[in-house]
Amino acid sequence: MISVKNLNFSYTKKPFIEHVTFEVKSGEIFGFLGPSGAGKSTLQKILTGLITTYTGSVKVNGTEVKQRDNSFYEQIGVDFEFPSLYEKLTARGNLSFFNSLYKKQGDIDALLASVGLTADAAKKVADYSKGMKSRLNFIKALLHDPSILFLDEPTSGLDPSNARLMKDIVLTEKARGKTIILTTHNMYDATELCDRVAFIVDGEIKALDTPHNLIMSKGAAKIQYTYLHNGREEKGQVSLSKTSEDELLARLLRNNQLLSIHSSEPTLNDIFVEITGRRLQ
Amino acid sequence: MRQDMKPSMKPLLRSFGMFIRQISKDSMLIVVCIAPILAAFFFHFGIPIIEGLLCEFFRKTTVLTPYNLLFDLFLSILTPYMFCFASAMLMLTEYDEGMTSYLAVTPIGKKGYILSRLLTPAVISFFASSLLLLYFALTTWAFMMIIMVCLLTSLTSIAVALLVFSISHNRVEGMAMAKLSGLMMLGLPVPFFLLSNVQYIFAFLPSFWIAKLGMEQNVLYFIPALLTSLTWLWILYRKFERKLT
Repeated sequence: MISVKNLNFSYTKKPFIEHVTFEVKSGEIFGFLGPSGAGKSTLQKILTGLITTYTGSVKVNGTEVKQRDNSFYEQIGVDFEFPSLYEKLTARGNLSFFNSLYKKQGDIDALLASVGLTADAAKKVADYSKGMKSRLNFIKALLHDPSILFLDEPTSGLDPSNARLMKDIVLTEKARGKTIILTTHNMYDATELCDRVAFIVDGEIKALDTPHNLIMSKGAAKIQYTYLHNGREEKGQVSLSKTSEDELLARLLRNNQLLSIHSSEPTLNDIFVEITGRRLQ
Repeated sequence: MRQDMKPSMKPLLRSFGMFIRQISKDSMLIVVCIAPILAAFFFHFGIPIIEGLLCEFFRKTTVLTPYNLLFDLFLSILTPYMFCFASAMLMLTEYDEGMTSYLAVTPIGKKGYILSRLLTPAVISFFASSLLLLYFALTTWAFMMIIMVCLLTSLTSIAVALLVFSISHNRVEGMAMAKLSGLMMLGLPVPFFLLSNVQYIFAFLPSFWIAKLGMEQNVLYFIPALLTSLTWLWILYRKFERKLT
């Protein structure tokens, strides 16, 4: 669905995006994870054809992006991080305009209902809250039922319930067979939504795998427990895979002497820091 | 390279429709667009009246009449200048709203956006200024001269729109830049008042050559006028495209 080979690009003479190579399969949610300024949005601009002065090969839906024509945009939907809407128009007015640009046209009422904006459809976008604008901006990308979705920080600035709503829509779209490119610096979104993630720092892909494999490759899950020893609380720790070898833990379990026990898995953020030496948030 | 070629007509028309719709919702831009018509009426009917009053006051046979061609030239540039100013203001609003980048990733595309926001207003203003010149000019114009001058003033006005949009960050800065861009028209009165070769200091301005073309009625002046316009367009388009990305 998407094939990027030896991609290089820079805004200045100093190299920025360097030797980037990856493939995204049809129906996959692929995440770009990295701190601000890492090159995630630039990569998205290249994939969507906003930037064409790159070297290497970037194929989306079988089309080399440099050689696309405007029918290319019938197949992709883009949700930028910051809302791009006509403030003087109503939500319905905005959706009607964008709907009219495509050959395949969506059901505006159903989309408004999916993000809880039916009651505010006749309100001017200028009067919308930030969260409402984000939701409207998101469904704008779904209007023409594109086969590939590019989502840049889709849950940024949303309250937890609306963030949940958006994530559920993303998962529904995946279930409908869409390929989704998710750009984020939110490790929880990436872990929950993405089939595979690419860690991007300073314009380079430092790691690429499923969130589970990335987590497991660098640090296995551990069990941590506490118990009393000579009247003092002590801590114990063992890798999940070596639980049976921990005789102390076995004895404490047999004698019901544990004060607490819980498993501890490294997060994607821990792995990101370990691999790249940088923090996500 | 086949980059962003041939935007199809439907999205292009929708985009231009949105351009008109946005202007109709902005009272300042409505005034800007009808200003050339008001100016045409003023030049055509007001200036002869003022001329009569001035001649009577100064006891002269002519005061403004020698500059009638200059008024006509101003009229020829006013329509495209105002249309392209409105376009630049609208593009700055769209830039603020994040629409500029977004429309480039729809079937409108980057080229379609440029066509609907710059080229189409310039083409309309070409016809509008030709008509105004045809019916409201104070001097007699040959048809071909009207076509040449209005083509050049439309090209110059696109350069003005590119200048205003590329250098300004928002509408407030755009307004200030638009006033500054009025200097692009400074070349028009130069051949009327600077008769020595010093006038060629202004040769980098397309408006200077447009005035020479109008005064001398020599089609050869069309060439430097076109070349200076295209040079300005080339320089400013590169800045404009960087801002679009």
